[in-house]
Amino acid sequence: MTGAVPSRLRLAPFEHRRLARKARLRRELTGWLFLAPYFVCFLVFLVLPVLGTVWWSTRSGSLFSGTKFIGLRNFLELPDVVSAWSSIENTLIFALISVPPILVGALGIALLLAQIRHGGSIYRFLVYFPVLVPGVVAALIWLFLTNVDFGLFNEVIHLFGGKPVIWLGADHALTVLAVLDVWRNVGYWAMFFVAAIIGLPHELYQAAVLDGASAFARFRHLTLPLLRRILFFAVIVSTIWGLQVFDTALVLTNGGPGTATTTVIYRVWLYVFASNNKVGFASAISLVLILAILGLTLVQMRLLRSRRGQD
Amino acid sequence: MAGATSAEARLSGADHARQRRRKRRRAEFLRHLLLAVITFILVAPFYYVFLASLKNSTAIFSYPPSLLPLPLYLGNYEALLWNTGFLRWMFNTLFVAASVTFIKVFMDSMAGYALAKIEMTGKKVIFLAMLILLMVPIGALIVPLWSLVSALGLTDTYLALILPPLANPLGAILMRQFILGLPRDLDNAARLDGLNDFAIYWRIVLPLIKPGLVVLAVIIFTDQFMSFIWPLIATTSDDLQLLTVGVAALRAHGGANYGLWSASAVMSLIPISIFFFVLQRQFLARSLAGALKQ
Amino acid sequence: MGENRAYAIELVEVAKRYGETAVLSGVDLAIEPGEFVALLGPSGCGKSTLLKLIAGLEEMSGGEIYIGGRLANYLHPSARNVAMVFQNYALYPHMTVRANLGFPLRTSGIARAELRAKVEAAASLLQLTEQLDRYPDELSGGQRQRVALGRAIVREPLAFLMDEPLSNLDALLRVEMRSELVRLHKRVGRTTIYVTHDQVEAMTMANRIVVMHRGVIQQVGTPSEVYSLPANIFVATFVGSPPMNLLSGRLETAGGERVFRGALDLALGRLAPASLPDGPVTVGIRPEHVQLVDPATGIGRRVQVELVERVGPDSYLLAQFGDGRPLTIRVDAASPIREGDGIAIRLPQEHLRLFDAAGNRVTKEIS
Repeated sequence: MTGAVPSRLRLAPFEHRRLARKARLRRELTGWLFLAPYFVCFLVFLVLPVLGTVWWSTRSGSLFSGTKFIGLRNFLELPDVVSAWSSIENTLIFALISVPPILVGALGIALLLAQIRHGGSIYRFLVYFPVLVPGVVAALIWLFLTNVDFGLFNEVIHLFGGKPVIWLGADHALTVLAVLDVWRNVGYWAMFFVAAIIGLPHELYQAAVLDGASAFARFRHLTLPLLRRILFFAVIVSTIWGLQVFDTALVLTNGGPGTATTTVIYRVWLYVFASNNKVGFASAISLVLILAILGLTLVQMRLLRSRRGQD
Repeated sequence: MAGATSAEARLSGADHARQRRRKRRRAEFLRHLLLAVITFILVAPFYYVFLASLKNSTAIFSYPPSLLPLPLYLGNYEALLWNTGFLRWMFNTLFVAASVTFIKVFMDSMAGYALAKIEMTGKKVIFLAMLILLMVPIGALIVPLWSLVSALGLTDTYLALILPPLANPLGAILMRQFILGLPRDLDNAARLDGLNDFAIYWRIVLPLIKPGLVVLAVIIFTDQFMSFIWPLIATTSDDLQLLTVGVAALRAHGGANYGLWSASAVMSLIPISIFFFVLQRQFLARSLAGALKQ
Repeated sequence: MGENRAYAIELVEVAKRYGETAVLSGVDLAIEPGEFVALLGPSGCGKSTLLKLIAGLEEMSGGEIYIGGRLANYLHPSARNVAMVFQNYALYPHMTVRANLGFPLRTSGIARAELRAKVEAAASLLQLTEQLDRYPDELSGGQRQRVALGRAIVREPLAFLMDEPLSNLDALLRVEMRSELVRLHKRVGRTTIYVTHDQVEAMTMANRIVVMHRGVIQQVGTPSEVYSLPANIFVATFVGSPPMNLLSGRLETAGGERVFRGALDLALGRLAPASLPDGPVTVGIRPEHVQLVDPATGIGRRVQVELVERVGPDSYLLAQFGDGRPLTIRVDAASPIREGDGIAIRLPQEHLRLFDAAGNRVTKEIS
């Protein structure tokens, strides 16, 4: 109780400190040995490149023949460069028109699948199948669908007596690209939502039915609020994915017609590997994209954490 | 009121039950109908392209289109398999995807074990960094990655394709979740029984997270199969082209060789279909449970 | 100090801190070989942490632990010659019972025949012979617990460390397993440290009880010592159910006699030694020691019975006392006293316990 009591320990304090440090080091060393392989890859191929993007964005020149430092000029010029700005616009519009249909469609499919009694696994397999298709293959498939002469879409329209539509023309290209994305991704989120819906507490619904709530009322007042966290997560993640669109744009329309479907990453690729002298500028755009994604990630992390208590 | 409806009230018990059953069956039927329509819309394009792959060019352009692949034309597939590097691309993709999967399964589970069960300074910071950078795509990093890979002298090698995807934090994060879900004190019991950390990992943890490892493997493999932008710029020689890049190149070479393109689309889907069909039940249930653990 | 070597386990000034919070402070304990010691306390008092420190599963912040006379602070858990039974059993789900039981021995490299013999001996001791080839998820809770026990037994360690092993069993099974553990201890005779928050368990099973609260040992003693001579108010109220009655008041000297003045006035006599000055004190008495007297005699204090709790062979009368806390009095179930009745009670001096202002029990003056 008071400091006057002599210690009955056999070893001196400094000896304890030394031995404790040795034991702790040994334990940490094991931990680091386990973590090291992944951590090295993480640092070298993820952290370093992110920092590298920052470095490259302050330079101007070519990836193959050297660059020079120009500070923040790339960022300052960014809003004025039409090709860069339009690619940002295209990407944002793309995300805006693809994400809602994906999630609404996925939710609808999930509700159906969750309530169905037989044959669920067949539907799941078929609904999920487009998710596994590589972007370039999906784009190829859609080249067929949208072909003006023999494409499935125009054939169906022809069946109903309408005029053929130039799907990949300047008016519709971006929209078609978005619908392609919806077709590809709705299955993924549908499976996600199905798992979430199945995990909801069954008793709440039984109580609601006893209270006489209609199916729609149950959806609006029970399902939606309970799925709020998952829906937020889905919105943010699918938006982040939407911002990255490239392979489908390349194969379906070559970024065109003109630059109608040139997205951010597409534009970056063009700057660096096609035009050969805008690597700094391209990195600046990449950095903007990375920051947007980080921003969305942080929003999602904050939202998920703050709501933890409410569940 | 009571008197007028007493007769109906007497019958309504059984009637109500029957009505409810009819309503439920109708609702079920409607659901199936909707789902059938939706799945048809989602899946029809595949059949359409499959048809086209078996037609010659005149048949493709003809109207009205035939719903069955007759007369059967295999020229597209022949051209694809013998005249293009398709088989080589397929091999490359499978090789790279399998390598990345194999390496990551062990690397990420070890990292996940350390993150979950071992006390280390800075563990929280590292984990936080992994969460934050989780969603940063390789496509946004092509400039520094390319210069790094070429500085290491690795352009046009399999390593250039295998190494960068290893950095994706999803695997380690997922493994950490799975390992945290194991029964408590299991590793403590093993420690008391004389196992060192590696033995605990190898003999206790790994066998018990096998379903998680399967989920991880499937996610990594399909991701790698579909990756495009990095392989596009990382390899220029024909020998090392991956499937996605090669197929895109077919399209880029101009000339509307729809027959060839459709054949390439169909052939590309075969491995993933087999893979998925085999693992279908586990994959759908588990991958979502794992993802939801966040 | 030379007696260190005779102890099975000795703890000297053991402390554990998480950052700024001290979970354990100044823990000193010496455990004899073959003893069954219960670490008793409410959740959060540090008893499980202490067990983990002894086992080496967590790092100590200070102090020394000796196991079998050797300094164990920096030994690997498996080198400390102790075996642990976890609250959640921690059985290896992918191994059979036989493999689970034999696992601790496999890593020590003994011959296969001997391993098999030991496993079967442990299994028969715990009536698990029929379950040997089953997997943990096929067993009931009680069987799983016995496998956890068996895993500790095969190692023939210097001491068993048990972390609330019975808390996941249902009430009936718990009572059954309790007596089995006692029987086992009598048969095998190994030093056992048993962590629990259930004072009935501690009282019925242990040779000695270590009562802990907020990381500090409150008292170490035999069950009867801890029950009849609690070291402080915490022990007095934690051990024994229903808890000891406590009356707060003042210690005063009146005409050379020490008296307690509170809701009740009591003569304390030798209970209050001369070294204890007048001042605020607490007096305690167990429900079974409160005497009922015939109201007609006029002695004793009259109180009214507020509530009668019937718990089988006994009943407990709750009598309101004026300063808030009712007095609990134990009577036989056959007693005719009903709620609302007036009774007279007397608190015999020999059963009074006096606690000073800090809550510590004051020891009687020996003449």
